[in-house]
Order: sequence, then structure tokens, then C-alpha cells
Amino acid sequence: MAKHKAIVKKEKCLACGGCISVCPQDAILWISSKAVVDSTLCNSCSICVKTCPIGAIVWEGTEDAL
Amino acid sequence: MHYDAVIIGSGPAGSVTARFAAETGAKVLIIERRAEVGVPVLCGEGISQKVDTYKVLEGKRWIATKMQGARIFSPNKTMITLAAEYAGNETGYVVFRDIFDQELARGAANKGAELLLNTRAVSLLKKNGKINGIKAQQFDETIDIEADIVVGADGVESRVGRWAGIKTTLKPYDLETCIQYTLTNIDWDSPYCDFFLGKHVAPGGYVWIFPKGKDTANVGIGILASLSDAGKAKYYLDKFIASQPALKKGQPLRILTGADPVAEPIQSVADNLLLVGDAARQVDPITGGGLMHSIEAGKYAGETIGKAVEKQQFDIKMLSEYETRWKESFGKKLHRNYVVKEIMLDMDDKTLDMLADSLKDYKFEEFSTLSIIKALVTKHPSLLVKLTPLMKLARA
Ligand SMILES: Cc1cc2nc3c(=O)[nH]c(=O)nc-3n(C[C@H](O)[C@H](O)[C@H](O)COP(=O)(O)OP(=O)(O)OC[C@H]3O[C@@H](n4cnc5c(N)ncnc54)[C@H](O)[C@@H]3O)c2cc1C
Ligand code: SF4
Ligand code: SF4
Repeated sequence: MAKHKAIVKKEKCLACGGCISVCPQDAILWISSKAVVDSTLCNSCSICVKTCPIGAIVWEGTEDAL
Repeated sequence: MHYDAVIIGSGPAGSVTARFAAETGAKVLIIERRAEVGVPVLCGEGISQKVDTYKVLEGKRWIATKMQGARIFSPNKTMITLAAEYAGNETGYVVFRDIFDQELARGAANKGAELLLNTRAVSLLKKNGKINGIKAQQFDETIDIEADIVVGADGVESRVGRWAGIKTTLKPYDLETCIQYTLTNIDWDSPYCDFFLGKHVAPGGYVWIFPKGKDTANVGIGILASLSDAGKAKYYLDKFIASQPALKKGQPLRILTGADPVAEPIQSVADNLLLVGDAARQVDPITGGGLMHSIEAGKYAGETIGKAVEKQQFDIKMLSEYETRWKESFGKKLHRNYVVKEIMLDMDDKTLDMLADSLKDYKFEEFSTLSIIKALVTKHPSLLVKLTPLMKLARA
């Protein structure tokens, strides 16, 4: 199975920048004051997923199930 | 547009830097990506009364509550009480951070600093290999802002340092991931800022209750990102609130998430560049408090900018005065507290309870690391082994 990429559920994101501060790939940026993952840069390390205090970051393809 | 200094970020670090630089006559501009200074608030809002000595805030509108001190609760709820003067940088006032930040920005503007909102720095400008300003996105336009000095006061997520080759990405081990409710309708009329410790309360961090008026308080949690999992901070905070009868009826006025660097400080100067505040990791690694340091370092940064502009010299040699000053003032403390953070992370709940038991009757008048360690090991000699690294530091 191809590795999933992280994806921010933007309606949940409260814009603290935690994920941006820890992403080792510099793959997360602000778009309209919400964190957004650039999937071309994400290496699926899961650091941002674990860091988000409210669980707003999930794996692509699973976002509807949650 | 040409400025002596362009400052990225209108938080306390940026505004205070701007104020002291502008006061020397330097032409400074603050740019801020948000649409309003200080909004949204991302903070527990506790600060030491030492802030008064900097005279950067007028009036009292920014104060929500004046505190008498702090109480720390160990996992088995043993309580240590600290009077405000010993309770560190986070106890004294609970503030309204939005008004607080706006007052600091007003102070900067009064001294001549300019502000641009809705303007996000996206990269550094360089000429002949030297930094000479920034490129920024303003609404849907890209603008160039030239400046002899670029100040990264861009907070925990700092990009400015990264653009200049300073490593600012945080390891999960060095970040507290946070969430906080401002709860109203609670039974909490207390003159203390409270801190709750324990593996089952807040892994690698703590829960705080900072009162704002008689039935309202900031109730928040930080957990170490390396011990976190998706949504875990919220899970632990909700569990804590449900376990406190006095908070259960609380209704939220505000919810925020936050990220607080608990890292060792990093290089804060380069040719034509300064980093200040959270961007330079000037945060106490034990408490996560950064407001006082941001203000103090901002003052030094602004004064150094003034001198650099006067001499028209902007290299690292000139700007290093800033780094020397803040490291002399509180750099050593940050380093020591980073070691304490590591020791505390190694402690299980039982050890934390023993610590609290040793300290609960301690008179915090002679507040030195060494005297506290003595008090600790007198009562619980088995703590000695765990505290050896700290004793070495205290003696150094
Ligand atoms: C949940 C939480 C609770 C806390 N509680 C306390 C406490 O009780 N007491 C205490 O002392 N400290 C506390 N802290 C720490 C404190 O909030 C910070 O130390 C303080 O805000 C640092 O100030 P600063 O000016 O460096 O950064 P910030 O206040 O974060 O300001 C940075 C500014 O830069 C802007 N910015 C970022 N990137 C760009 C860009 N590219 N272009 C333009 N603008 C940009 C941001 O929008 C922001 O306005 C807490 C932190 C958190 C997360
Ligand atoms: S950590 Fe979560 S809440 Fe914070 S900016 Fe990232 S996605 Fe948003
Ligand atoms: S999974 Fe890792 S690489 Fe991908 S966005 Fe999150 S932190 Fe960055």
C-alpha cells in the first residue's frame, strides 16, 4: 500500500502552528489562516498527526471515516 | 520602501523590539500576518509583576486579575504554595493577552514605529549575498520591503531564522502541545495560579488554572509532543475538568490550541538578522513561560538596533551585543531549566509526590537551587540520585 499523506481537516484546525513548528519536511503552510499540508513534501512521518492537540490532522483517505 | 529594520511579528517580542529601536530614532516597520494585533489569543496569560519595571504598558486595562502566588499539585495532590515573588515568570498578573499585545504595539507606534497588518513575510531579500529585507504577501499582492536589519519575532513557528540557515524546526521532545478553555460559571474564586502535575494528568507537562475574575479562569494543558497522540491534549484536559467538581458546570468563553517551545535557546544573530522571543526559543523549558523573556530580549534587541543604525554597521559582530546581553541575563537559567525539564521527565509519579512532600513546608525565602535540593534530600534521601545532575549545575 502506498504511504498515506497527512491532511488537515480545516474545519477543525484552530491555527496554533504546532504542526508547522515540528514538521521536519517543512511541508505545512498557512492558507487562509489554516494549516495545510503540501502532500508533495510530506514523508508520512506522523509527527504532526501526533502533535495536533485536537486531532485535526489525519491520514489522507481516512478523513471521511473520522 | 526602505527601513532601518523590518520586524516580522507583532507579538510582545516584535512590539517591544520596535519600541526601543524607534526610540533611538531608527525607522522601523512591524509586519503581521494576522488582521488584528494579539488576536486570536494563544496563551495562558500569566505574567510576573516584574513586567511593571519595563514601563512598556500604560494603565491597567490589560490586567484581568492580580495574583498572590502559585500552587503546585503533585500527582497525589500534595500542594506546594509559592508567594508571587518566588513563583517565577508566569505568576503575578493574569492578563488579557489581546489588550496586552495591543498596548505594547501602541507603545511602539507612539515612539514612531509603523505597522502593516495582513502582511506575511514569505522570504528574505538578498543583495550581493547579504540580507537586505524581506518579500511579503499582502492580501494578494507581493511586496518587497528593504531594510538593513530583519528581525524574526515570528513566534514558535518561526520561518525567518530558517531562511537564514538557523535550524528552528522543533523536535517533538522540545514542544508542548496545548489546548485551553476560558471557562466561566465555575466555582473558582482563588488568588492563586494553579499547576497540576502527573503522568495521568498531563504527560510531560501540566494542567493550569489561571483565574480571570471570580467565576472565570483559563483552564489549559500542555503535554510533551513526543508523548502525544492525535487529540490527546484535548482528551486529557476534558478528563481533568470532568474530575473537578468546581469546574464541571463551567461553560467555555473561548477555546484555543497552542504550541510552546521548551527547547534550548538557539543562535539569535546573523549578519543583518536578529531573532527575538519564541523565535529564538527564549522560553522557560520547565514552565513554558515566554512573555517576560520576550519583553526583556526585545528591549536589548531594540537598543542594539539603535546602535547599529547609528554606526551603520549591521554585521554579526555588531549585532552580537544583543545575544550577549540576553544570554548573560537569562541564558544560563534557560539552560539549567532545560536540564531540570529532562530530570523531571524521568521522574515517575511517586518521585514527584516525594518531591512535593519534601517541599510542602519549605519556606521559599532562600530560593536557590542548592537550598531546595538540600531540603529535598533531607526528607527523602532516595531523591539524591535523581538530582545529582542538578546539583552539579547548581554548584557550577
Ligand atoms: C497555550 C499557551 C499558553 C502559554 N501561557 C503562557 C503564560 O501563561 N505565560 C507566559 O509568559 N507565556 C506563556 N506562553 C508562551 C507565550 O505565549 C510566548 O512566549 C509569547 O507569545 C512569545 O511572544 P513572541 O512575540 O515571541 O511570539 P508571538 O506572540 O507568538 O508572536 C508572533 C507573531 O508573529 C506573527 N507571524 C508569524 N509568522 C509571520 C510571518 N511570516 N509574517 C508576518 N507575521 C508573522 C504571528 O502571527 C504572531 O502574531 C504560552 C504559550 C502557549 C502556546
Ligand atoms: S496543530 Fe492542529 S490545530 Fe494547530 S495548526 Fe496544526 S492542524 Fe491546526
Ligand atoms: S506527516 Fe511528517 S512530513 Fe508529513 S506533514 Fe506531518 S510532520 Fe510533515
